[in-house]
Amino acid sequence: MRLTDILLWLFTAAFFVFMLLPILVVVVISFTSAGYAAFPIPGWSLKWFARIFEYQPFIDSLWVSLELAVVATVASCVLGIPAALYLARSRSGWATAITTFLLSPLSMPMIVIGFASLFFLSALGFGVSFLALAIVHTVICLPYVIRTVTAVYRGISPAYEEAAMILGASRLTTFREVTLPLIRPGIAAGCLFSFLTSFDNLPVSYFFGSAQTNTLPVVMLAYMEHQFDPSIAALSTLQLALAVVALVVADRLYGIEKMTVAT
Amino acid sequence: MKLNRRHFLGAGAATGLVGLSGLPLRAQENVLNVTAYGGVWEQAIRDCFVAPFEAKTGATGTVSLGGPAQWLAQVEANPENPPLDVLIMTPDLAVIAAEGDLMDDFTVENLPNLADIPQEFTDACLGKGTYFDYGVGGITYNKQYVSEPPKGFAEFVEGVSSGKYIASVPSISYGPTPVFFLWALNNALGGTVDNVDPFFEAMAKMKDNLVFWAGPNDFFNHLASGEADLGIYFDGRTWNHVDEGVDWIDFINPEEGGAMTTVAVQKPKNASPLAWDYINEMLDPVNQAKFADILNYGVTNKKVQYSEKLAARVPSMSDALLPPYAEIARVRNEWVDRWNREIGM
Repeated sequence: MRLTDILLWLFTAAFFVFMLLPILVVVVISFTSAGYAAFPIPGWSLKWFARIFEYQPFIDSLWVSLELAVVATVASCVLGIPAALYLARSRSGWATAITTFLLSPLSMPMIVIGFASLFFLSALGFGVSFLALAIVHTVICLPYVIRTVTAVYRGISPAYEEAAMILGASRLTTFREVTLPLIRPGIAAGCLFSFLTSFDNLPVSYFFGSAQTNTLPVVMLAYMEHQFDPSIAALSTLQLALAVVALVVADRLYGIEKMTVAT
Repeated sequence: MKLNRRHFLGAGAATGLVGLSGLPLRAQENVLNVTAYGGVWEQAIRDCFVAPFEAKTGATGTVSLGGPAQWLAQVEANPENPPLDVLIMTPDLAVIAAEGDLMDDFTVENLPNLADIPQEFTDACLGKGTYFDYGVGGITYNKQYVSEPPKGFAEFVEGVSSGKYIASVPSISYGPTPVFFLWALNNALGGTVDNVDPFFEAMAKMKDNLVFWAGPNDFFNHLASGEADLGIYFDGRTWNHVDEGVDWIDFINPEEGGAMTTVAVQKPKNASPLAWDYINEMLDPVNQAKFADILNYGVTNKKVQYSEKLAARVPSMSDALLPPYAEIARVRNEWVDRWNREIGM
C-alpha cells in the first residue's frame, strides 16, 4: 500500500470518527441509568425511553410532526411536480426566474421565513393554526421536490413522450404510463427530503407553536431548556433510528444511489 | 346536481382546508390558552395553577409550550385576537410588551392576590404584569475540586484571575447573560448601568481561565467533565441537579447579592377575561408554595410558607438584587456590542 493510500485511509477513518462519535455518545447516554446527561455512563437503563411515552407533550407533538410532514410532502408534490415538469422543458426567461423564486426558500434563513410568515398569515386570518403551519412547511419543502424532479426530468429524452403520443396515447396516458414511471426516483427523493425537512424543522415551527400545533422539535427545545434528564438523548436515538429505517426502506424501494444521482 | 370530477375535487379540497384549519385563533369561550416552559415547568404549571383554576371556574386550561419570544411574536401578529390568554415572560420582554401597549393593566380589583406581591415587581413590568417566580444568579461549584469556594463576586474574580479556579461563565448568546452575569458582576465591582468598565476589566483579567457556556446544559457538562471547577449559574437549576442525584454540586449566593432573575406573567389585551382568574391562582400563596417546591425557585407572594427543604435553599428577596431591567434595556445593545468586540464569545 502506498503512503498516499495510507494517508487517505487514515483521513477517511478520522473523518468518520469525527462525524459519528458525537452521535454515538448521544446514543450511549440515552441508555444511562443516571438522572442527568454525562459520559461515561454509570449504568445501563431503558427508563429514559419509557419517559418519552410518559411525557404526553412528546407523544402529542410527535403526531403533529408526522401529520404535518405528510401534509407538507403531499402538498409539495401536488404543487411541485407539475411546476417542475413545465419549468424543466421551458425555454422562456420567465421559467428561470420562476424556478429561482420557487427555490429561494433554500437560501433564506428559516427563522426569517418563520417570523415573516407568522405576521403575513396572521394578516390573512390564518393565525396560529395547523393550516398556517402546513402552508409554511409546504413553502420550505417545495424546493426539494422541484429540484429533484426537475433534475430527473431534464435527464430524460423528450423522445419517449413524443413516441407515446405518436402511437396514439393522450397527454394524460403519456404522463401516467411514460413520464411518471421515469421521474419516480426524483419524486421519491423529493418526498424523502421534504418529509425529513418538515419533520426536523424548528425555526419555522417555533413561531406557529400552540397547545395544539407544537411540533416535536419545538417541544424538545422547550423541554431541554428546563429539564436536564437524558430523555432528549433517548428521543434523539429514536429519531435517528426512524431516519435510518426510512433511508433503508427508500434504498430497497428505489435505491439511494439512484435518488442521490437525481439530485 | 350532477357530481362531476371538478365538483368532487373542489368539495374535497374545501373539506380538507376546513379540517386542517380546525384550530381557530381563539378557542371556545370556556377555554383558556396559557403558556409554560417545557419539562418539569409544564407539569408544575398544570398541577399548581391550571388544576385549581379549572376546579374553581369549570373552564378548561390548555398549555402551550415554548418561549417568551415566540409567544410575544404571536400576540404582536394577532393583537385583536391573541391566540394566547396568559403569557410567561422574561423581565426584558415584559417591559417591551408593556411599552408596546400589548398587555392589560394589573389591578387588585382584577387580581386580589396582587395585594400580596411586592409593588416593585408590578412596577418593573410598568404596571402591565408582575413577577411570580424568581431565581438568583450566583456561583455554582464542584465540591470535588473546590474546597474553599469564593464567598462573592470579588473573590470569584480574584480566584479565576490567579488561576486558582477555571470558571464556566455564560456566553453572550444566552439571553439572560447581560443581566444576571454582566450587570450583577459589574454592580458588585462598583460599576453602574452607564459604566460597565469594571466588568470588562475583570473579564480581561480572567480571560485565560474562562470557558463559556451557551446554554445551561453546557454549564453542567463543563463541571461534570472537569473542564471547569465553578461558574456562574442559577440556584434553582443547581438544586434540581442535587435532587436528581448529583451530590458533588453546590451553590453560593454571592455576598454582594446575586441578580434576581424573575419570571413575569402578563395578560394580552383582548385575551379572555378568564385570564384574571387564572393569574390570580398563579399569585396565590398556597399554589405558589407548591410550585416553588417542585421547581426549587423562589416565588413572590409575601405570605408564602416554604417547605423546610426549600426554606434552606431559597435566598430571601432581600438577599438578592432586583436588576433595573428598564434601564438595562436602554443600554443592552451597547453592552452586547462591546462584549462582541472585547470578549467575542
